[in-house]
Amino acid sequence: MTDQVIYDRGYRSYEGERRGPAGARRAVYKDGLRRILGLGRKARRKIFPWSLISVAAIAAFIFVGVHWAIGNIEESLREGVPTYGGLFDFYSAISLLFIALAGPALLIPDRTKGVLSVYFSRPLTVDGYLGAKVGSFVTLVGAIYMVPQLLLHLGLALIADDGALDYFGANLDILWKVPVVTLSYIALHGAVVFFLSAVINRTGIAAVAYIGLLTAVSGIAGGLSSASFAGARYISLLSLDQHPRIIRDSLFEDTVEYPAEVAGFEVWASVLVIAVLTLFAIWFVRSRYRRLA
Amino acid sequence: MPDPIVQVSGLTHDYGEVVALRDLDLEIPEGVIGLVGANGAGKTTLLRLLLGLLHPTSGTLSVLGHNPQTDPLDVRARIGYMPEGQCLPEEQTAADFVSYTAQLAGIPPSEARRRASETLFLVGLEEERFRFIGDFSTGMQQRVKLAQAIVHDPSLVLLDEPASGLDPDGREQMLALIRRLSEFDIDVIVSSHVLGDIERTCDWVVMLDAGDLLRSGPLGGFDRLGTVLVEVLDHAETVAAALEARGIASAVDGRKIVAGPGDDAVERAVIEETARAGSGLVRMIRGSASLEDLFLQGGQE
Repeated sequence: MTDQVIYDRGYRSYEGERRGPAGARRAVYKDGLRRILGLGRKARRKIFPWSLISVAAIAAFIFVGVHWAIGNIEESLREGVPTYGGLFDFYSAISLLFIALAGPALLIPDRTKGVLSVYFSRPLTVDGYLGAKVGSFVTLVGAIYMVPQLLLHLGLALIADDGALDYFGANLDILWKVPVVTLSYIALHGAVVFFLSAVINRTGIAAVAYIGLLTAVSGIAGGLSSASFAGARYISLLSLDQHPRIIRDSLFEDTVEYPAEVAGFEVWASVLVIAVLTLFAIWFVRSRYRRLA
Repeated sequence: MPDPIVQVSGLTHDYGEVVALRDLDLEIPEGVIGLVGANGAGKTTLLRLLLGLLHPTSGTLSVLGHNPQTDPLDVRARIGYMPEGQCLPEEQTAADFVSYTAQLAGIPPSEARRRASETLFLVGLEEERFRFIGDFSTGMQQRVKLAQAIVHDPSLVLLDEPASGLDPDGREQMLALIRRLSEFDIDVIVSSHVLGDIERTCDWVVMLDAGDLLRSGPLGGFDRLGTVLVEVLDHAETVAAALEARGIASAVDGRKIVAGPGDDAVERAVIEETARAGSGLVRMIRGSASLEDLFLQGGQE
């Protein structure tokens, strides 16, 4: 037994592996996931994201259960229950809230708390930083959209009368259609929320601005597009949240006629709007952060 | 001088109309280096140029043998930086944040966590490392800032006003920590406008004033700039007049004379003139010049 104590451990030099810029990007990516999910943060930061994830997961199981239950009663009744395309609509409210949480949380605190000055003193470029943030965003928002689709796909296969393998074989197109639609949702919503998060310094205000732009403004634009003045049809394109839905409808069942479709625009107009918005957001956010670095 | 850690040649940087640094030629040796100057002197601009975060308007610079303009990531991998202002995420624990900044420097996660723990121990935050940074006092936050700057074992640390906002005790502790860094083979450049902090901490000082280099040199050897304080038995006026006649500025206050700026020659003159006046020397003290005196003289000795 000894009564000696270590009172100063000094400082240990480091001769081990250094992963350079790739390691830095990986660290930002993982921190982005943790930040969106509230991990390593105070308890109140966990409530909102985990509530949304729980609702999304539970709803996915309920969907499969409804398909199974109705199919047991009368197979033809299952036609009325939403499947892949409809599920995107069902999850739009959850994803809207999740994106309103995730986008501002990823960008705003680093900027307003001055932490960027520390980050960019490391071997990390602006493009590396933003790319890793986008990676975190796409991973989690993509999961919100795609995991329920995956559960539905597996569930429908398991309850299919012809057996799972036949079901998978007959629905191979789902494997590309769902990711394409998911990508269009993420691109449009991500562009809007990243742009707003780059110019607004309060997370709450950015979240409200995003939801407002995607709901109220889209609604107004949709209304104005049917007016009789010259060029009114182009206003229909400002109804932003319709564009991923138009792409979805072109790939899955056509549920509603959206303002741009009423105004005579084809699905390619929606693809173009999403592409232009995404490129603008990339250019704008990148320029802003290059000035900040 | 051993190999300089920083070499600057003809460096100018402007923000449009405002010239932050003007035609700077500079070599900074290893050790603890003080970068002093009033607010707006160009200290932070120089630090950001060294990190490759700014590009010079003209001139060249080299840090640890790398050019921060062409190899910014190589330079930053070997440098730690403690910014002046707010730079901490309040909703993260100290351990998480410091570990994260180690990973940003490329250190694998498990080692980053271990080093974060050790570094927070070193700066005196062992017990508090799992508390959220937002709950920390200013002094504790400054320690977290220092910890993130050194967690990845950099060769050089740039500290921008590290004692800013600290009370006297906290300031002393921070300066003691900075002095210790040289024990770990970490060179330090400390930017401060508090000259006393630099005097107590550094081996070398670089003085900037409105973008111009006033002086770059070792902090020792300022004694010859100091005045010589003399107390004689009597005839102080006579001794002072004799010193003036020899070209040594002197002021009399009773039996005391303040002569100088002084060096060994001035001391010898004081002894000779006191004896010649038939007086006796009670005491003679060579006062050292402060960095502040030097700065006020425009860096000229």
